[in-house]
Amino acid sequence: MNHRCSSVSNLLEKYFDQEVTDDERTLVEGHLPDCPACRETLHSMERVRNLIQSPVEEAVETENFPWVWQKIEREIRLKEKPTLWESFRSWLDITPLFKRRVLIPAVVAIAILVFVATPLLFKKSTSYPGPSVVEYVESQTYNVMVYQLEDSKGTVIWLFEGPEKEISRS
Amino acid sequence: MRRIASLFIFALILSLFSTSVVLGQVQTRVRVIEASNVGSSIDSSLRDVHGQLGSLFSFSSYRLLKDETVTLSPNQPISVPVHPGRSLEVTLIKQQRDTAEVRVKIKREGTDILNTQVRLSPGRTVSIGGPKHGEGTLLIVLSRL
Repeated sequence: MNHRCSSVSNLLEKYFDQEVTDDERTLVEGHLPDCPACRETLHSMERVRNLIQSPVEEAVETENFPWVWQKIEREIRLKEKPTLWESFRSWLDITPLFKRRVLIPAVVAIAILVFVATPLLFKKSTSYPGPSVVEYVESQTYNVMVYQLEDSKGTVIWLFEGPEKEISRS
Repeated sequence: MRRIASLFIFALILSLFSTSVVLGQVQTRVRVIEASNVGSSIDSSLRDVHGQLGSLFSFSSYRLLKDETVTLSPNQPISVPVHPGRSLEVTLIKQQRDTAEVRVKIKREGTDILNTQVRLSPGRTVSIGGPKHGEGTLLIVLSRL
């Protein structure tokens, strides 16, 4: 009998929560009329449940759930947006291309690029303002004249093959 | 993954070198023109030349014989035939930002008849003229693109 009571008492909690199988229910319900201890245990459980259930039900009746939900929604909306750096970090976390193994060589490559390109970009210019300029001009055979056009947009190098062929207004 | 990273770096360095090579090149437009006082036709593509040289010379006709764009690389002469027996040889000496220093030689039957070095800037021209061509005069207009 004791053994049976022990077996049933283990099932009481499940029985109370209505989680027993049909066989287990038959067993428990067959045992309860003969066992005051198990009945008392079951009653204790009911008392505890009633003790907890009443205040919860009262609270549920008095609480305004739509209002609570609105409040939660407002809090979600007002939640601070991630900073640019945080967004970038999270993007890096989800982008396999920028995992560490690729990121480090990429940074090195960019550093090399910057190192090589910087002198090209910031090279001091010795460009010659103004029109195209004749550095030098020489001819073993002919006389040469250099003209600078009035609008400064051009330079003319003229070879005198025959003095009568060139007509100049200037 | 490491292999991909190595390839990425290699491609980057390669593109860097190719960029520098392209940067070292200069595109130059060479126009060969016959200017004369026979007739009064001016090729529509030579309005700018006529506008420039009109203040200096009184040619009434400008006829385009050749319009060629050459890509100059440093110290690599490019020869452009301009007339039977004559040729133009253009060599990029150096390039600084928007100015290209170019050596120009006009050769007649292999002999230099003109040797000059000029600085070409975008929007500005260097014209070489004087050699006879038919009833007119040969004009070679160089401009940097």
